[in-house]
Amino acid sequence: MSFFRKKKRTVKKPQLLTPSKLVSQKENTPTSSSLTETEKQIKDILGNNEDLKIKHFKIFGQFSAACVYFSSLVDKDSLNKDILKSLMYEPDHLMGKEKPLTQLIDMILTETIYHSEAKVGDSIDQLIQLMLRGETVIFIDGIKEAIHIGTRKVEKRAIDQPQTEQVILGPREGFIESIATNIALLRYRLPTPDFQVKTMKIGRLTKSTVAICYLKGIANETVIKEVEKRLSEIDIDAILDVGYLEQFIEDNPFSPFPQTQSTERPDKTVANLIEGRVAILVDGSPFSLLVPVVFNQFYQTTEDYSSRFLMGSFVRLARILALVFSLIFPSLYVSLISFNPELLPTEFAVAVAGGRAGVPYPAVIEVLIIEVSMEILREATVRLPKQVGGALSIVGVLVIGQAAVEAGLSSPITVVVIALTTIGSFATPTYTAAFALRMLRFPIMILAGIFGLYGVMVGVIFIFNHMLSLKSFGVPYMAPVSPSDYEGMKDVVVRSPLWWMPKRPDFLHPSNQSRLSENENKMLEHSKLGNDQREGTTDGGSEGNNSTSSHNDLN
Amino acid sequence: MGDPKEITALQATTILISTIIGVGVLPLPLFAVRAGETSAPFVTLTGVFLAAIGLMILTYLGIRHPHKTIITYSQDIIGKWLGKIFSIVVIFFFLILSSLTAREFGAVVVTAVLRETPLEVTVIVMLLLAAISCRNNINVFAYIHNLYVPMILAPVLIVVAFSLKNANLLYLRPIFLGNDLWNMAGGMLTVSALFQGSFIITMIIPAMKTPKKAMKASLWGILISGGLYLLIVIATVAIFGPEEIKQIFWPTLELARTTAIPGNILQRLDIIFLAVWVLAVFTTLFSSYYFTIHSIKELFRLKDHKVLSYFILPFVFFLAMAPQNVLHMYEIIQLIGRAGLLITIIYPAFLLLIDFLRSWRRKKNVAKPS
Repeated sequence: MSFFRKKKRTVKKPQLLTPSKLVSQKENTPTSSSLTETEKQIKDILGNNEDLKIKHFKIFGQFSAACVYFSSLVDKDSLNKDILKSLMYEPDHLMGKEKPLTQLIDMILTETIYHSEAKVGDSIDQLIQLMLRGETVIFIDGIKEAIHIGTRKVEKRAIDQPQTEQVILGPREGFIESIATNIALLRYRLPTPDFQVKTMKIGRLTKSTVAICYLKGIANETVIKEVEKRLSEIDIDAILDVGYLEQFIEDNPFSPFPQTQSTERPDKTVANLIEGRVAILVDGSPFSLLVPVVFNQFYQTTEDYSSRFLMGSFVRLARILALVFSLIFPSLYVSLISFNPELLPTEFAVAVAGGRAGVPYPAVIEVLIIEVSMEILREATVRLPKQVGGALSIVGVLVIGQAAVEAGLSSPITVVVIALTTIGSFATPTYTAAFALRMLRFPIMILAGIFGLYGVMVGVIFIFNHMLSLKSFGVPYMAPVSPSDYEGMKDVVVRSPLWWMPKRPDFLHPSNQSRLSENENKMLEHSKLGNDQREGTTDGGSEGNNSTSSHNDLN
Repeated sequence: MGDPKEITALQATTILISTIIGVGVLPLPLFAVRAGETSAPFVTLTGVFLAAIGLMILTYLGIRHPHKTIITYSQDIIGKWLGKIFSIVVIFFFLILSSLTAREFGAVVVTAVLRETPLEVTVIVMLLLAAISCRNNINVFAYIHNLYVPMILAPVLIVVAFSLKNANLLYLRPIFLGNDLWNMAGGMLTVSALFQGSFIITMIIPAMKTPKKAMKASLWGILISGGLYLLIVIATVAIFGPEEIKQIFWPTLELARTTAIPGNILQRLDIIFLAVWVLAVFTTLFSSYYFTIHSIKELFRLKDHKVLSYFILPFVFFLAMAPQNVLHMYEIIQLIGRAGLLITIIYPAFLLLIDFLRSWRRKKNVAKPS
């Protein structure tokens, strides 16, 4: 943050003519027809930079010209082969033809240059902006206009497995920083004209490209408009990650609960687009932001849908249990131990009391101490280099846990409870949602220490009421549970088989609801028949003509 | 009323159920047995029936005026000033009802769970919870009820189901013990007073998507909550017998205490039952509190009810602290409850009658010139 503050201060200093101000002064000033003068103008503004290159050459051996670019941003290979070579070496079909200066630009664009992204520009500020984005600009002596060519090449990492959302079954691709690649990953999965990508630039300094992706005809129009409106109202110097946008567009910034979902997975993004959500991508961020969200999607993963429905539902049930654990398990423990030990079966109560015999603190203090140290451990493990991380978690969890019990700082059951809670919070697939519950655990624990089970109940009611009052882009946060929606309920606790969910969830108000086509679905027919009956039918899966299905698409 | 009208019939039903089921669950069998001994279920049934009639009248009135609550349409029917006076009485009644709910809750918590915590603290925590939640709009109000209803119904049903193995049908006979009809009538009134929360329907109808479905919602609402109450009375009477119930203050809590779930996961169920019962009390308190501030808003034609939520908090708190002890509190509750029937049943009936007369006269007037 200090970085930004410093920036602000320099901006506040009066009358310092920064290059950007020089550029904005030159707004809409046309480029001069004289090459030397243009060169001087550019050097005035950008001359300090080592990587600004100006190369003089002669087009077709007769017109003197200069190409200006940032050597750090452009693809030199393409610059040399496709641009300079084609311009300096007069092609056969132009040999001997008359080349008047007025038609030169047209001739270069249409007949000479081997590059798809060559355009004409004529104001100096615009050309400088383009240069800063990696384009090469060619000025020709005697011509006012200049040619700018998209030669941007920035180093990017390879497409990798998403680190935060790993799955066992399902695609392995994750988003990377470059927005062009990310959009390509989405388009690759959605080859339909309905898939729309609207872009805008946000950030006075970073001018980050922000893309709003949605499926026209499925996503709700009002949501799309609302997203555009909220994004266009942002006026900030820098957007470095999608998280910056999130903080500007969410409905309730003071809520601990995330009101947008960010994901690293293109397949998840596409699945959400198809349900009628809108995805927001930012150049430089490997995350997409999905709106509107409801709470139940934070414990769902794409894996639930790609595995068979019994499996998916079972795993989801386990995850919900883990979610509940991570929120109230320590507070339940505290209230049972310090207020209502009579609830526990006698043998267990005796064991608990025995374990706590040497511990001087009340249960709530003990749990709080262990819980806080657990949080510190967790944060430390994230920051540590990979090589040390494993060692630390062993030392931290095993050694300290054991020693704490032996030293009488905590009882063994407390350690078990906290360990279960921590593991439970890791089972929630979405980091932000898990974080919300992790934070809310502390106030509930304190309430449990004061009021016992009654306190836990009050805390839980309070959290639920808050969640019920939240809205994400007009969609109630707890939909489809409350307000209940029949189609949506099929995909909350259990993940119903795909052929049981013929409609898109209604709570997102999609423009087009049908997921399965109306006509008879082969899949359904199969599943209605018993196994022994299927052998006789002719339209079974073993016919063989399935294998011919469009090999062309497999590239 | 800037909120979109989104409340569905299902949501209206759940609002009614969770509003009606509240603190009353605990002492209900006692009330019924005091009035009718073994015919306690019969007393409960008549009480439910009476409450149902009141609710039907109210719903019918609401459907006749689908854009208004009782606060506003009463002014149309019986005139501006008379309507306002009656509305103030209604508001004041619900203010008292909220405070008594909170007080009764506090009393149970202090006696059964948190013996060392001061009564004031438990009451103020509950009131604060309601006050903060009341700052939402009416749709969120509906969502909240909608979510909690299954959680309220389930534990009661579980306790009843697991306890029935100890039931003795002999305790339920004779079904109609007609020795003290006057006393039974009183019990009937007390039982139907437990349903006074259903008055909330008048606030729900104007916010419903299709107000016509309100009748269906109230029928289902009273059917489910009444059925549950009846079930509780039958179960407790069948297990403890009328004589023993008279000795117990909160028979339903005792019922939970004697119940054990197979597998010995938890030694006792009553604490868990009480914990979930906090939910039931919260929804009831939430409804009456919300109704109070919403009605004040309508009466004075204010734009927003949010500020009122904290404003009436001290009043409710002081009213809640007024009864001296538990016995005094239950005397007041019975008294207020029966008096409240005048407001929740007689007053709407009176409004409906006048409304009928007016529309009949209007029709005659229209018919005359033509």
